[in-house]
Amino acid sequence: MEKFLLLVREDLKRRAKLTPAEFDHQTQLMTQWVESMARSGNYLQAEPLTNDGRYVGREYVVSDGPFIEAKESISGYILITAESFDQAVSIAQGCPLIANGVGVVEVRPILIMSNE
Amino acid sequence: MNDPRGHIVRDRVDDVYKSHYGKLVATLFSHYPDIPLETIEDIVQDSFAAAMTGWTADTLPANPAGWVFTVCRNKAINKLKGEKNRWLQLDEEMDKEENEGGNADLPVKLLFACAHPDLSPKIQVVITLKYVANLRVDAIAGALGMTADAVEKMLFRVRKKIREEGILLTDPDPSLGASRLPTVHKIIYLIFNEGYKPSSGDEAVNEDLCEEALLLAKELIDHRLGDTDTAALYALMLFNAARFRSRTGASGELLDLDQQDRSLWDQPMIALACDFFRDAREGAMSPYHYEAAIAWLHCTAPSFAATDWATIGDLYLRMLRMNPNPFVELNYAIALYFAGKKSKAFELMNGLLRQSFLSQYFLLNAALGKCYLLDGDYDRAKTFLTRALEQTGNPREIAFIRSLMEKIP
Repeated sequence: MEKFLLLVREDLKRRAKLTPAEFDHQTQLMTQWVESMARSGNYLQAEPLTNDGRYVGREYVVSDGPFIEAKESISGYILITAESFDQAVSIAQGCPLIANGVGVVEVRPILIMSNE
Repeated sequence: MNDPRGHIVRDRVDDVYKSHYGKLVATLFSHYPDIPLETIEDIVQDSFAAAMTGWTADTLPANPAGWVFTVCRNKAINKLKGEKNRWLQLDEEMDKEENEGGNADLPVKLLFACAHPDLSPKIQVVITLKYVANLRVDAIAGALGMTADAVEKMLFRVRKKIREEGILLTDPDPSLGASRLPTVHKIIYLIFNEGYKPSSGDEAVNEDLCEEALLLAKELIDHRLGDTDTAALYALMLFNAARFRSRTGASGELLDLDQQDRSLWDQPMIALACDFFRDAREGAMSPYHYEAAIAWLHCTAPSFAATDWATIGDLYLRMLRMNPNPFVELNYAIALYFAGKKSKAFELMNGLLRQSFLSQYFLLNAALGKCYLLDGDYDRAKTFLTRALEQTGNPREIAFIRSLMEKIP
């Protein structure tokens, strides 16, 4: 089994406008998905993020900027195990935000440092 | 179609569909690799439609599966007519299969083919239900709480992959079979769970799905393709299936374990489960072993109060050490509560609540509500039960939470 990081991206402006009930409902759909991944033994960890963010560079700290400007920004992460990159992609396709057309998922294999 | 005995034909066609759909698709696909899989499936569907219109109650063929197979083959040949078709020469094996309507070992082979490592567990489950259990798309959708459209889309994507890589064709060699066995176990386990959890489908328990899972596990054992994990998984499912009837009350409402009528439990099935569980104990412990042991303790407990909650808690803890999992942690906390370690139980559950996704988990809020209710902490009970009510759309679960709320003085 290999590890993969799933980065969930969605339109944070849209996300900020959700009513508490809508936001809870969206979270419940994600919870059901997370549970199904746990049941199949693929789930390691997952958390949603707030809509805030700051960019830190050598000579600057920028609030908002790129987070709000970009069409889609990271709104949560899920760490999973999968048998292959293809399977991780296949699991990511089950994200309810994709089915609802409000999000995309970036699938990134965790780099294993080899000492050989 | 006005035949008053039309249901006889329909039932017979359904039986053949149920037992042969996946076999027919796989057999045709392996013999006519140049025909796209979608077309193969259309051919098989058309042939069943032909059976519906062509058969009457008085003229049912002696070998219905063979009849459908012949029609499928003729349709496939017609498709290929006019092309250079070296594969039209039917070999002897093909003729033999025609008589049986397929190769007898095929379902097990298909099961291993469905356990392809590039597919998500959910897709593995869907194609197993489609090609091994031979369920129709709307039945799969209903069973998994999905829309038929979503199942079709999923099948569309996977057919593309099947076409590109010939997944269903793969006849896993013995070594590959062994390496895929854990995935096959997982598929069976997931199918059983889908049938068992009340949130899917219209029924409180979707017994058909559970039965499919039991059949698949039995198939593995009968073909000597399983190991001790297979026996543990089979035992686990039997222990749970034996208690189906008591899970709902007179009007179909969900009952908690403490309210279930234990005299309804299927004792011969529990005894059968014990036999397989004994076989399973020769091997190393897997999560299925732990779950089977927990189910065994429930099945053999004389009453809810006399249940060995301390050991059940210990088994959950060992499962968690093997694979950390917040959803199993909830079960662990509930066992601790009934084992009398209440403060530790509340501490764990409130800890889970701080995990964002878990805070919206129906069963966590329902469990907290129930435990606070039992503890006489009615304010907290009400808070959590109200939250749980907002977290489910399932009528049975809503009724269940309402019945708990009525107990708040």
